[in-house]
Amino acid sequence: MNIATVEPWVEAPLRRYVDDARARLALLLHTSGQVVAQAGFTRAIDVMTACALASAVHATSAELGRQVDGRPFRGLHHAGPQRQLYLAPAETARGAYICLTVFDDESSLGLVRMYFDELCKELMVAAPPLAPLREPALAVDFERDLNANLAAMFGRN
Amino acid sequence: MSSPFTALLESLSRQRGVRASLIVSENDGLVVDANLRFGQDGDRVAALAASMYRKARMSASAARLGAVGFLQLDAERGRICAVGGRGDLVIVVVAEPAANVGLIRVELLKALDSLT
Repeated sequence: MNIATVEPWVEAPLRRYVDDARARLALLLHTSGQVVAQAGFTRAIDVMTACALASAVHATSAELGRQVDGRPFRGLHHAGPQRQLYLAPAETARGAYICLTVFDDESSLGLVRMYFDELCKELMVAAPPLAPLREPALAVDFERDLNANLAAMFGRN
Repeated sequence: MSSPFTALLESLSRQRGVRASLIVSENDGLVVDANLRFGQDGDRVAALAASMYRKARMSASAARLGAVGFLQLDAERGRICAVGGRGDLVIVVVAEPAANVGLIRVELLKALDSLT
């Protein structure tokens, strides 16, 4: 499966996760919706759409969790007739990421959750420390960063 | 907290050498109920055992061998036994390498009958 990353330290853990969990698609993104890595997508537009939707769904379910349980819900699972998705946050030294995993009947929710826990541990270990000065994720140049990230992942200049 | 499966799982866990007994959803790989000894990771066992059972069932079906009656995996530090075929539920036992598989098999098949 083709894997493209904006941050190279993510690639090995994500590749292992996708292989072990037999995921069809995987997407790692910042909570703001900026893409970090993708596996299995073929078109940039799909990545952009999935990032925006995953970020919104995560924000919604986190707030819903705060309302009903006093803290954000962690994992979210939706099952369709052919494919299912699992959306959950992964904490690292560089902050929180969201991982969207799409899988089918080659895998199961139990397997995906189990290997996702391992992915979280590996990301925690692999993440280089955050540089002290960093631009906010939603700065005025968000779109430029987004396009640069997508260009880096899909090999465009 | 007890569930409809508590007595069944306790009966399996009373067998000598049994470390854990679980009722698992075959399709989701999630624990429905479990009786675990200290140190056993129920979620992990459930996910892997359900996957293994499902693959075995599909393989048997593809080979035209019919339904899977009893599944056993012997490993260096333990063994996993599983029975299913009643809807989505699979009964899984994790046992010591030296455990009596014959007895465990009988108890598992009895437990499977009591599920219906």
